[in-house]
Amino acid sequence: MTTIQQPRILGAGVNRVDGPLKVTGQARYPNDFNLPGMAYAAVVRSTIPSGRIRRMDTTAAEKSPGVLEVITHENADHLGEAPPSFVKNPQPPLQDDVIRFYGQYIAVVVADTQQNATAAARRIEVEYDRHEALLDPHDPRAERIKDPWGEDTAWGDVRTALNRAPVMIDQTYTTSENTNNPLGLFTTVASWDGDTLTLHDSNQWPNMIQQVVAAMFGVPRDAVRVLTPFVGGGFGAGLRCWSHIPLAVMAARHVGRPVKLELTRPEMFTGLGHRTASINWIRLGATRDGRLTAIEHESLTTLPLDGDEYEPCSSVSTWSYASPNVTTRDQQVRLNIPWTNFMRAPGDAQGNFALESAIDELAWEVGLDPLEIRLLNYAEVDPKTGRPWSSNALRQCLEVGARRFGWSERNPEIRSMRDGHELVGYGVAGVSFFWYQQPCSARVIVKGDGSAYVRSAVTDIGTGTYTIMAQLAAGLLGLEVDQVEMQLGDSSMPVGTAAGGSGLTAALGSAVHDACGRLIQKFVDLAGTDPFSPLANVPFEDIEVSEGRLFRKGEPTRGESLARILAVHGLTELSADGNSTPNSPEQLGMTPAGARGARFVEVRVDEDLGRIRVARIVTVNDGGRILNEKLARSQILGGTVGGVGMALFEETVTDKDTGRIANATFGDYLIPVNADIPDVHIEFVGEPDAFNPIGVKGVGEIGLVGVAPAIANGIFHATGKRIRALPITMDMLMD
Amino acid sequence: MTTLTVNGTEYPLDLADPRVTLLDALRDRLDLTGTKKGCDQGACGACTVLSDGRRILACLTLAAQCDGREITTIEGLESHPMQDAFVRHDAFQCGYCTSGQIMSAVALLGENRAGTDADIREYMSGNLCRCGAYSNIVAAVREVARNA
Repeated sequence: MTTIQQPRILGAGVNRVDGPLKVTGQARYPNDFNLPGMAYAAVVRSTIPSGRIRRMDTTAAEKSPGVLEVITHENADHLGEAPPSFVKNPQPPLQDDVIRFYGQYIAVVVADTQQNATAAARRIEVEYDRHEALLDPHDPRAERIKDPWGEDTAWGDVRTALNRAPVMIDQTYTTSENTNNPLGLFTTVASWDGDTLTLHDSNQWPNMIQQVVAAMFGVPRDAVRVLTPFVGGGFGAGLRCWSHIPLAVMAARHVGRPVKLELTRPEMFTGLGHRTASINWIRLGATRDGRLTAIEHESLTTLPLDGDEYEPCSSVSTWSYASPNVTTRDQQVRLNIPWTNFMRAPGDAQGNFALESAIDELAWEVGLDPLEIRLLNYAEVDPKTGRPWSSNALRQCLEVGARRFGWSERNPEIRSMRDGHELVGYGVAGVSFFWYQQPCSARVIVKGDGSAYVRSAVTDIGTGTYTIMAQLAAGLLGLEVDQVEMQLGDSSMPVGTAAGGSGLTAALGSAVHDACGRLIQKFVDLAGTDPFSPLANVPFEDIEVSEGRLFRKGEPTRGESLARILAVHGLTELSADGNSTPNSPEQLGMTPAGARGARFVEVRVDEDLGRIRVARIVTVNDGGRILNEKLARSQILGGTVGGVGMALFEETVTDKDTGRIANATFGDYLIPVNADIPDVHIEFVGEPDAFNPIGVKGVGEIGLVGVAPAIANGIFHATGKRIRALPITMDMLMD
Repeated sequence: MTTLTVNGTEYPLDLADPRVTLLDALRDRLDLTGTKKGCDQGACGACTVLSDGRRILACLTLAAQCDGREITTIEGLESHPMQDAFVRHDAFQCGYCTSGQIMSAVALLGENRAGTDADIREYMSGNLCRCGAYSNIVAAVREVARNA
């Protein structure tokens, strides 16, 4: 019972099991909870980027109708420090008078209605001592952090290789700040009962929120329960314990009532972090026939004054293509800006744009087809260690995608394809995504009627975890999908990891796999104590499961149902806990490869106006074993839409004098709408991955990566203009 | 006292505070939380409901304006084929924009604006989906429109 049985359940296009709740408005998101006696909170944010609060006048706010409490740094509870987590969490809010960025929380108002809280918050008057802010990444006074994660890499001799290279590309590529903007307004509903606390909270990692809040408020971890069965998206925004969470908890303690704190859309821009802007310097050396001899990739990204962020943009250059000489370096610079944070494909999205643009430039330089140069430089093994990949179907992604797209019909000359007043261009990009997995646990329980339920504290942020884990458990226990109930999003359940890094399916799936194996073993052991059981004396290795029954391999009649085994032994249910930890590359002798992919796009550029339209997209991906093709396709589609946004629309604009985000609304910060998205052809290739027992590679992020360079490369083909900065807007294409 | 008629039920509502939007009235006072708030600025469409059959943004509508109107929210749909089509075509992921998408799509059928994919894309563009389910939304609307 170590292999995945009933493959018919896996891979199938099972509908989302939580779908009926979501199409009827019955799925309850954190801001849907209205508790008896609940009060409402509104935050006040700083209007300078750096300095100190000289004076705050809260008199008018306190007298405002319905106001229950106004909390500032002068009357805030002293909170404990945020404990170290996978990443740093913001230190507790309202602990001092120091302003570190424009939009920092400086007060919270609690009132009987949202309208009263919001109105009162506007009546707080603040005077500041303003200090000069660091807002420009090139400001020499700003702190620079070299090699922030100890991941700078070098092999071979890049200097010499570049000096000797017959062909060289030396360019700088930049990407803008982007804001995650999940559609669900992040909300915390905090409710104290004595010394225990319940939170309905928008996040991607309930156990992390639980840990941080418990430490800040000095209560045991199990006194805090975080509930997130549904959340209105995350895209990385829910991977830290943001300051509004302790604010809501503090407010609830002050007023002795449950408090709802729902961020507004503009507050979502400053309060949850955003994707860092990036500057990437790339130097490629190559032979005249386009074979890479050297890659040098450096990046500079930004940090807030007191945060950290893992955004290794240059890493993609260590695993994407074969090169005997590689150097990568990353730097970060600290500024008076709101927190930078993970956003779908952190580091990879920006680094891949730079690398795939540079590879394209090299193809044009040596006169090679942009598809061919990627196939030519395919990395047969991990170029850094020489170890084989756990799986890597990048080549297949490129070849299959090219066929589906009709790449061979491309006229190789620039400005050679046209349809009326539109210039037509074909662009391609390859994607080699990072691999990530963290420890996770789950409990699987079979009930007296033979049905099962699975529990883990993780969240399903819309990726389909509820569904694919139900399928997986059903497959492993020999049940139908509708016989497995999933219970997720509750910190009191078995400890779960983050829904992030495209790593949850491998982490939770491996834990469910482990738990199911242990549970079957328990059933077999139990049956073995019953001398009348047809399973008595059957070794575990010879057991198969199907249709709710255990039986001896090859002898379907020699078996017993799970329900019957429980009944015979007078049990109402039987459970087993499962855990997963990532395997060791050294022990397995292979490098875990994240997902791989290829993007093909047709872009159309209005010759007079510079208007850019993406006409069609082909995206082919290697995600290892696909547990549910319907849902996996949705992940890729969503990533593709995000990629179009990054390529053509999304830019969080910070005013360089005040540090204020100038476009913090959906009217001003543009994301793709339905009419921006053309036909998207999605296909999966590849084999089950060898690195985890269920053979999966996460597909939550890869869909976004590579879309922007494919579009930029297509625009070059269409117009002859090489755009090295995102987003690409029509003004860049007008002469 | 204002009377809100939502999904055929009349709710007397004390609207001493005229700032209360239809969206907040539905969510905070009537506990009809199926209608979502994504921006509160009329830019995302998550709060789309029907007013006398026309789609409107509940966040830009004051509750006090709704006296005498028939408001229909996601909770008022009775197994509409659009809901089933959204599930089968996986036309959502996190599900947060879904109520607004479905209300918009249902209204679209009545507006005779679902004839072509280009029309569906255009007239569904007031409803943002950050998970990016757009193509699947088009597929769901197309199917229901063709079978209507």
